[in-house]
Amino acid sequence: MKVTEITNLEFGKMVQAASQKLNQNADFINSLNVFPVPDGDTGTNMSLSLASGAKYERDADTAAVGALAVALAKGLLMGARGNSGVILSQIFRGFSRKLADKTTLTAQDLADGFAAGAETAYKAVMKPTEGTILTVVREGAQAGLNAAKDTDDVLVVMDAVRKAAADALATTPDLLPVLKQVGVVDSGGQGLSFVLEAFDDSLNGRVAENADYKPDDAEMDEMINAAHHQSAQGKLDPASIKYGYCTEIMVRIGRGKQVDHKFDYDTFYNYLADLGDSLLVVNDDEIVKVHVHTEHPGKVIAWGQEFGDLAKVKVDNMRMQQETIMEKDDETPATATPAVAEPAEDTPDTAIIAIVAGDGLATLFKSLGVTHVVQGGQTMNPSTQDIVDAINASKAKRAIVLPNNKNIFLAAEQAAKVADIPTVIVHAKTVSQGMTAMLGYNPDAELTDNQASMEDNLSTVKSGQVTHAIRDTQLDGFDIKEGNYMGIVDGTIQVTAADLLETAVDTVKAMLDDDSEIVTIIYGADANADLADQLQQRVTDLDGDLETEVHEGDQPVYPFLISVE
Amino acid sequence: MAVKIKTQYGTIDITNEVIATVVGGAATDNYGVVGMASKNQIRDNVNDILRRENYARGVVVRQEDNGVAIDVYIIVSYGTKISEVSRNVQSKVKYNLETMLGVTANSVNVVVQGVRVLAD
Repeated sequence: MKVTEITNLEFGKMVQAASQKLNQNADFINSLNVFPVPDGDTGTNMSLSLASGAKYERDADTAAVGALAVALAKGLLMGARGNSGVILSQIFRGFSRKLADKTTLTAQDLADGFAAGAETAYKAVMKPTEGTILTVVREGAQAGLNAAKDTDDVLVVMDAVRKAAADALATTPDLLPVLKQVGVVDSGGQGLSFVLEAFDDSLNGRVAENADYKPDDAEMDEMINAAHHQSAQGKLDPASIKYGYCTEIMVRIGRGKQVDHKFDYDTFYNYLADLGDSLLVVNDDEIVKVHVHTEHPGKVIAWGQEFGDLAKVKVDNMRMQQETIMEKDDETPATATPAVAEPAEDTPDTAIIAIVAGDGLATLFKSLGVTHVVQGGQTMNPSTQDIVDAINASKAKRAIVLPNNKNIFLAAEQAAKVADIPTVIVHAKTVSQGMTAMLGYNPDAELTDNQASMEDNLSTVKSGQVTHAIRDTQLDGFDIKEGNYMGIVDGTIQVTAADLLETAVDTVKAMLDDDSEIVTIIYGADANADLADQLQQRVTDLDGDLETEVHEGDQPVYPFLISVE
Repeated sequence: MAVKIKTQYGTIDITNEVIATVVGGAATDNYGVVGMASKNQIRDNVNDILRRENYARGVVVRQEDNGVAIDVYIIVSYGTKISEVSRNVQSKVKYNLETMLGVTANSVNVVVQGVRVLAD
């Protein structure tokens, strides 16, 4: 097979395939982060950036490839997120400027486009770092130019670009020491490599034709929101809802013991269509997701089980929710001035908003005097908007925010600026610091005085976190093996061991000094009361004068959070 | 004007010059930043990109109770998403100050002093 030109059809498919590929692999790219605690977002950033580019390309009303490329570059620019997203937008900015006036692309055009993309990407930075996405784009583009000298076949050129980019990606650990240390390739480079791979597969016809387009998670969510919006209308009497249960299931096709049908989309869909409305069914080869409003959630679940096992089930009673929707709808008109409501009995003058992950921690913070909890933490930082919403919803006169995580400081600061009421941030970097800060709170003091006394308390506590390593790595002079546990004290790794309990005990040892009086142990979702009691016993054995406390935190990621005061 | 860190052995003073150099290095590490600019537009030529030894002219360090507030003056590349580049600068500056100097930046204010159109 030989292809000598790329028309708008091929180009459109290439871009959509790349966007899909990044979306599918976002988690994998995130996992290439060079710190062993799971919180990378390069994959998410690149995927969202390209999704915006792909949308502009889809919506562009033109048959000329050059104009489509310009639309793609514009969408990337508008939607760029993070360093990797900005670089990706620059690559395609160079690509599109070079080819803006082309109707179709020849092999030479394609090679020139990538070369211009690489050049533009390098220009926008003062000191280009090799061993990153830049290396990958440069090597790929060079190989494309070389190939275009001897052929007019775009497939040969694209194959060469893809292969050279993959080879360059493999060399990134040799160029950036930190990558080698951790044993990963560069995450941004990996993202670009996926994009070029998808281009190549698409041109070669190796991508399954998406006759029935399958939306991804985010789009499914949007569809569900839209469906709810249409069905709710906010004016319904809860009693008049015809189908009362919003039911969502996720089924792993062909797994489990109760399978007695081979999956067929139409069969599957038609039965559900008779059970209710707002039906959405999305599937790939392994999983089918269903969203439906029905009176018989049980039937939906049973139907799913005939095709596979249940990976997820969610049922909400919409009649109960209706009242809140109606309240919300009453608030939406932007022109309406909020009525000055009499504060309810239980509205505090000062709202204290803590950001924590896990129900146990939420309860714990409330017991210390926190009035509102926003769920969030290491791997899911709440947005500025989430925090603003919590502040404004509190209806209090003033607010104090406890982020309990360094990564949330910025969002919290922004929220404080735009919130309706005076708001201060107490810079607690950890859950331990957040709890200690609460001890400095005085309900009768001024906001700024409270902030000062709470912040003063932060330094009196040492924060220990025990978590598992998600890959082999060397860090802070430690040789850390995947699956082993690490003890992090105030941000630095202090101990590592294969056993959770031993790691936790060693972490406490590393935190104790002559002034230590109280050890607080908060066990997370990956530990249990039994383990926590053993740990408490071991700490008491270390030093009989220590006071110990154990709490259930349910937090993800960290089996143990430990404070020493 | 310097950051003092007390340890059991004595104190560590980190001058603002050092902080400014770290901030400048962190800022210029970011993709889309073509250089540091002077905070003093009238005295220095606005479009001059500062050399490494002069980064301090493009960085303001203000002492606060429990950390510092940073203003950083940058020149960005035309055609990048400037808001996102600035956001990346903020997080990189904050991160580098904490990892390299153990200094907490309570705020990092980015001032985009210029946009450089690079020859295509």
